[in-house]
Amino acid sequence: MAMVTVHDDMFTDDVIADPYTYYGRLREEDPVHWNDKYELWVITRHADVVWMTRHHELFSNVVFRNDPRPAYPAIPASDAPLYDYVRQYQADQFIQFDRPEHLEMRKVVHSYFTPRAMEAWRGFVKHAITELLDAAEDRGHMDVMKDFATPLPVLVIAQMMGVPQEERPYVRHLAEKLLYIARGEPERMQPLVEGMQGMMEYVAPLVNERIEQPGDDFISVLAQGEKQGVFTRHQVLVNTSLLLLAGHETTLNLLCNGTLAFMRHPEQWALFKTDPEGLAKRATEECLRYDAPVKSIQRLAAHDVEMRGKTLRKDDRIRWFITSANRDPEVFAHPDTFDIMRDPNPHVGFGNGVHHCLGATLARLEGQEAFKAFAQRFPNLHVETETFEYQPSIGLRSLKSLPVAFT
Amino acid sequence: MARKLRIWVDHNVCVGNAMCETFAPHVFQLNANRQSEAVNPEGDTEEKILEAAENCPVSAIFVEDAETGERLFP
Repeated sequence: MAMVTVHDDMFTDDVIADPYTYYGRLREEDPVHWNDKYELWVITRHADVVWMTRHHELFSNVVFRNDPRPAYPAIPASDAPLYDYVRQYQADQFIQFDRPEHLEMRKVVHSYFTPRAMEAWRGFVKHAITELLDAAEDRGHMDVMKDFATPLPVLVIAQMMGVPQEERPYVRHLAEKLLYIARGEPERMQPLVEGMQGMMEYVAPLVNERIEQPGDDFISVLAQGEKQGVFTRHQVLVNTSLLLLAGHETTLNLLCNGTLAFMRHPEQWALFKTDPEGLAKRATEECLRYDAPVKSIQRLAAHDVEMRGKTLRKDDRIRWFITSANRDPEVFAHPDTFDIMRDPNPHVGFGNGVHHCLGATLARLEGQEAFKAFAQRFPNLHVETETFEYQPSIGLRSLKSLPVAFT
Repeated sequence: MARKLRIWVDHNVCVGNAMCETFAPHVFQLNANRQSEAVNPEGDTEEKILEAAENCPVSAIFVEDAETGERLFP
């Protein structure tokens, strides 16, 4: 067996700043790697990630209910009750179930997110982008993270939830607390729990309303699921905030990481500007591949599974890395090159299999419209910093800020 | 009599989400690679087949009238 030269601390500054080198070396040296420090399998090859995502019966998504290990990175011992709350909360998200329950739950929400249904949201997304960029344009510069990528998904999700205009700032305030879900700082549990509790309290009366009087919003879809006996009330409440937990930071990472990829590759940005309308779809796929919003996803082995000469034992913790799968030279020519003309582009940015991201079409649409708007309105867009800091997260690839100027 | 359909799945696109199997279980089945195949175009009603195509999250399913070639989805 080849020598593994890679250390096991996935939270060092260099791994957070550049996950591609670290996980790329694992992909070469030990693609099914037992990380002793965090007690989990690290899976890094594209073929393995695709195979595992499509064999959902072997890799359980019931992680929060069944993984007894403590939070990682570590949190203060006094925050253990808060982590218990977070686990119980997340355990009721429909994505944290396996079949057959998962299928019944997904059927309730699936049709709301079809490509055709999401296409109807393009107008709203464009309008929201225009408003945010109008406000930024007057200032001559913006932090793409704070002024654009953070508010945009919340505007869309609040509209899907049917939140009245005057309550949107409050939902945005809660949404920003929920962003702690994927952070690594030790004191993250307090704001996260405040966000979760705040959402439960905020959504509860809306659910009562939609049970009585259904509309065409997403809460009504979940309320219908409760009437059918698929969801409990707690699950309806939790799955409403799942829109934010799953759809907010992921989308904002696509917007920021994609913008940064364009800015660091001026020739690709120039090419994109020749035909933003025509190239937006392919370019967005390449942004999803090149610097994916989600770095890794966790599962628990449901059985003993043999992979590349190793045995993953039942209940072992597993993380597969989209980050390295998307740069696998077995699948992508010149994998470290940002190439907006790449086609086909079988990246695994949204996973694969029965748990393939429910909001994928919406995220794609927001990316396409955002990059188009940047190219059309701010052809001279450029980054106003030399240093880029990322959140200390294992799951998400999140810039802390992205200051840009327009001229 | 129901018209004959030509149905196929683009395997460059299919992610094996398997919702088509749920909407039209006698038409769509996952193969060994866990991607969808249209195994029997007459297995379910046209309505169910179009519903399956519509609910494919990556629009990998194509449906045509087998005789006229008219595109029914997408």
